[in-house]
Amino acid sequence: MYLTSEEERIYDGELGWAYQVSMRILTRLGELFGATRLIPIASAHISGVSYKTIGDAPMSFLEEILNSGGKVKVSSTVNPAVFDLNRAKEMAISAEVIEKQMQIIDLYSNMGVNPTLTCTPYYSSKPTSGSHLAWSESSAVIYANSILGTWTNREGGPSALAAALIGKTPNYGMHQPEDRRPNVLVEVEPKLKKEIEFGALGIYVGRMLGDRIPIFSGIDGYTETNLKQLGAALASSGMTSIFYPDSKGEVKGLEKITIEKKDLRNTIEELSTSSDPPDLVFIGCPHCSLKEIKRVATTLKGRKVSEDVKLWVCTSRHMRAKAERYVEMIESAGGRVLCDTCVVVTWLDNLRVGTLITNSAKTAYYAPTFNRVKTVFKSMNQCIDAACED
Amino acid sequence: MNGRPIVPGLVQGIALVSKKPISFLGGVDPSSGVIIEREQDLKGCRIKGKVLCFPHGHGSTVGSYVLYSLVKNGVGPKAIINATADPVVVIGAVIADIPMVDKVDIKQIRTGDLVEVDGGRGIVNVLKRE
Repeated sequence: MYLTSEEERIYDGELGWAYQVSMRILTRLGELFGATRLIPIASAHISGVSYKTIGDAPMSFLEEILNSGGKVKVSSTVNPAVFDLNRAKEMAISAEVIEKQMQIIDLYSNMGVNPTLTCTPYYSSKPTSGSHLAWSESSAVIYANSILGTWTNREGGPSALAAALIGKTPNYGMHQPEDRRPNVLVEVEPKLKKEIEFGALGIYVGRMLGDRIPIFSGIDGYTETNLKQLGAALASSGMTSIFYPDSKGEVKGLEKITIEKKDLRNTIEELSTSSDPPDLVFIGCPHCSLKEIKRVATTLKGRKVSEDVKLWVCTSRHMRAKAERYVEMIESAGGRVLCDTCVVVTWLDNLRVGTLITNSAKTAYYAPTFNRVKTVFKSMNQCIDAACED
Repeated sequence: MNGRPIVPGLVQGIALVSKKPISFLGGVDPSSGVIIEREQDLKGCRIKGKVLCFPHGHGSTVGSYVLYSLVKNGVGPKAIINATADPVVVIGAVIADIPMVDKVDIKQIRTGDLVEVDGGRGIVNVLKRE
């Protein structure tokens, strides 16, 4: 891999250990995957923030980066944490966890990272189409490549941090036009009517893809929310980093997968591990857009959340502020609009949650193992119905 | 054996060989260096000071930080030999400065063998059979 003389000096340690180790990460990765050089990035999004998912392991590394003067060179954001920073007590988080989580957030903040604590960084600051990024968080990566028209590999937390510190990334994979072309046509036979069918489709197809890139036919009429759910699900059950929602004639000669009605029905059934009444109703994986918060608020209008059920609507702090009116409607009905966190990256253990209901295929896919709860996968309207008294 | 150089460094040590991939996050205890992954054939083994040979890593990218912690805690491996390196282990070896080589037929190495790893040139030699 070619390095400029400036990059070589950083590699040799001219700017100190933080930048040297970052440059080494980027060049080793580049060499591993056949990159020829480093290219500038517009932003970085770093996963590995929740103390529940990362534990103590990264602490000493992050401290050392900071102590040797590491500061990010490009606009950088981070994934959700264990709790809503204003509602840790309400979420029954222990003092020890609060302290550890705040240490992690402070370490990133002191490096110049914006502590956005969301998996949807594109809602608060939308990157320009065509720009190169170094994002981790698989649902954001697939959204960036497929919906925003930006270019990013599916980074891990450490490589996204290294790219943030250097402001560059190696030019392999999703940064190359030839590696972004679709190579399998997914023909969806049934007309998708229910929103959860998009998530189920993603889980089903993601499992079969391997490293192939899908182009869909037969799913037109989708909304932005549908595609967000489809992408998040594809990236959960598979390693997919990009998909194409519309086949427009450029599909000749591609290998074909046909999706039948029963495939979706079976996947939806399989994503529910229980039919018990829920203790927790969760909307907001990936984090809600303004539209989704508005929909929850209007669906709740004139109703009350049951005493023995929690309704969590998770979003970014940025979006919560924009949705103030709807937040008030949801909270006065007994729901909670939480920021900075989500079910998958928090502990439900102290909240006596046995059964969770969600409209997110990604959460339904992960929660039985990550949260050790029973899961029900239903549409948003059915989730709200399950939360309410009447 | 000739492999691909990943992280430079010339070391000798006793091999610990696994047939299965290792997930460092949740699979290796960072304070003791003991393998705790349920499905792992080396479950219960200490990796401290060993030349750790396994096909490749799997699991969370936080695994890279676990390798760093293992070395910081003085219980890390002396070197890593993989069949096919993956980003999690490569980044872990880079940040923890663990000599590493891949594209080596790890079936030729047995647990207990004394091996020499030259991470800078990508060479692995079995010096003494177990």
